Amino acid sequence: MIRSVARPQDTAWHRSHLARRRRTWVIMTGVILAAVVLALFGYFGSVGWGALAEAILRTTYRLAFAYFIALVIGVMVALIVGWLSLTDTLFPVFDVLQNIPSFALIPFFIYFLGYTDLMIILFSVTSIVWPILFAVLTAIKSAHRDLSDAATIFGARGFRRVPYYLAPLSYPSIITGSIVGIAIGWESIIGAEIIANTSGFGAFIKTASVSGINQAAIAGMFVILILVFVINRLIWAPLLAESSRRYAE
Amino acid sequence: MQNNSTKIALALSRVSARFEDDKMREVPVLKEISFSIPTGGFASIIGPSGAGKSTLMRVVLGLMKIESGTIVRNFSKPAMVFQNYALFPWLSALDNVAFGLRMSGVPKKEREKIAREKLKEVGLEHLEKHYPAALSGGQRQRVGLARALAISPDLLIMDEPFSNLDTITAEALKKDLLKIWRAYGMTILMINHLIPDAIELSDQIIIMGARPGSVREIISIDLPRPRDTRSERFFKEVDYLTGVIREVS
Repeated sequence: MIRSVARPQDTAWHRSHLARRRRTWVIMTGVILAAVVLALFGYFGSVGWGALAEAILRTTYRLAFAYFIALVIGVMVALIVGWLSLTDTLFPVFDVLQNIPSFALIPFFIYFLGYTDLMIILFSVTSIVWPILFAVLTAIKSAHRDLSDAATIFGARGFRRVPYYLAPLSYPSIITGSIVGIAIGWESIIGAEIIANTSGFGAFIKTASVSGINQAAIAGMFVILILVFVINRLIWAPLLAESSRRYAE
Repeated sequence: MQNNSTKIALALSRVSARFEDDKMREVPVLKEISFSIPTGGFASIIGPSGAGKSTLMRVVLGLMKIESGTIVRNFSKPAMVFQNYALFPWLSALDNVAFGLRMSGVPKKEREKIAREKLKEVGLEHLEKHYPAALSGGQRQRVGLARALAISPDLLIMDEPFSNLDTITAEALKKDLLKIWRAYGMTILMINHLIPDAIELSDQIIIMGARPGSVREIISIDLPRPRDTRSERFFKEVDYLTGVIREVS
């Protein structure tokens, strides 16, 4: 259950984030070393690297689409709810809705959309959207009253409140919500691909496991781990550092 | 008093207000508040914690509904300086100062020119590109003051503007504030928790009692300006006001 997402402007959160980052580097160094050792011993000799790359690219593109849709929906809904001052009213409603297990919905998606890219993407949106929505709602709800008053007094009233106050206020939370959302997104997309079993990384590891080619499944996992790490380092870590610096109190 | 004392900038007559506490109970926070401030006057509000001083500011600015009573607002451009600065962390010092002008539709070039002038007035022209997180408490409060001055307010409300500052910074800011008040001729309503500060700055001191917040006494300060804070008359005023505060606490 996601009730709130930590805000990067909190000093304690920042300290624990640094500790987590150090741990991540240690773990990733271990993962890469393990992959190199296994490769040197010829463990991955039977892996079809072309098929693996195609599967991972397909999954990544689905995730990117799903994330983009979830980002637009999550942020827009949260901003509108915040703007209409309905946060307290709708927070419990969203809380109940996000508790519905995503995979319980997959038969509906398959029924209406079939075993298609669109089905996997839209299914994943239902998982990714919640952390983003809750992060933005929490940021708006927990904003210091003085800041909200300052925005009102100096003219950010009516709809102008959204672009000039609520949206920039929510920026750090959009980043933290996105990080959590994408982590959940990998799970839901790969899960949906395993169920749909048509294409993508989920289908790849399912086929590899069923065929007894464990090396392919393990190679895939190494590649995914490294990919997630690289995306995190190249995109999210700089954004997070920037928002921590600028939004520090 | 600087200007024509017959014109009233703000008048409250038997104003009462309530707010909802954590347990959704209606709690009376202001009870039958009555006072008036002449145009161009400098009034301070002093009272113990829980006297509803900040709530009163919100009521004056129309940010909170009143339960009963009448408020006459003879001002059109109010501005506020906050105890916790309430600067927008996503904006540079210059953009924070220009925020109100931007909301009023002032073109970028013009509003930046005005914002630079105001930053210069408060001695921070060299820090215009800095974000609030990179500024000290005193610098943030000066940016807050410049933001308020940028819209050329006719009423300036200040909520304990010196309470988070060290003595030297607070003294410097107080001198600047008096200069600015003389230059602009605006009406100032300030919440103050230091009796000597209130006497040094104000024409009129409104003493509030707590639970619910109510006006206990209104004292006119007719010491000549600039005020000598080491004079016998000044100390007599401090003694008298200390006695009154003790009675209401």
